[in-house]
Amino acid sequence: MAGPLYTTDPSGAIHALALDGLSVLFHAPSGMTHIVASPAPEILAALRQGPADATELLRRLGAHFDVEGDEAEGAIHARLDELEAAGLVSRAA
Amino acid sequence: MSGSDYNKDGGEAAEGGGFVPSRRTVLVLGAAAASTVITVRPALAQTAGSVLNCEIPVPGPHAGGNYIAPDGNLVAPGTPGAAPPMARALRGEEARQLLRGQTPPGVAPQSAQAYANYIRRLQSGMSGFTCYASLQMPR
Repeated sequence: MAGPLYTTDPSGAIHALALDGLSVLFHAPSGMTHIVASPAPEILAALRQGPADATELLRRLGAHFDVEGDEAEGAIHARLDELEAAGLVSRAA
Repeated sequence: MSGSDYNKDGGEAAEGGGFVPSRRTVLVLGAAAASTVITVRPALAQTAGSVLNCEIPVPGPHAGGNYIAPDGNLVAPGTPGAAPPMARALRGEEARQLLRGQTPPGVAPQSAQAYANYIRRLQSGMSGFTCYASLQMPR
């Protein structure tokens, strides 16, 4: 395994509402509300299975989706970085 | 926005924001530079910020030039033991520090108590009262 492991909060900590292609997430621990687009909800769902690095995350997503993107590895890192900045994802200790 | 089509194709929004499609769909990860997260600042946070940036003139315009006695009352300019008027208004955060017994930067330590007591004596209608009242509200 290469790269940092990422994790997210338990399902009860994030309340989600799907809105016509966008999702509104209320993160209870921080009290912050986020508007997210795909693939953010899917990444959070995949991380809920347990901590994962980017490679493992792509594998989990690939089990349910046809993942598109010429540079999937770079894109998934970018998505994880912004989810981490928003406080929805953190690095596993 | 393209992606998993989880809404249209019978996917489900699982508790906690997990989205799992009911059938295999395409997931577009997007370009590295494209952002997919917008954080909405809660109204409470904005309120907190505005409170800390509100201003309290010490003393108010009605008493310009007056000194402030240690008990917070206004006294004649030059009264021994009284604090001179502040050259600028106190920001909410500075007022909060004074009320806690601290001395914010730019405030003479020997004048801090007089300024704090002046703020405590503010009444409705006086300049800075709304700011002082806001500082008392629980957040």
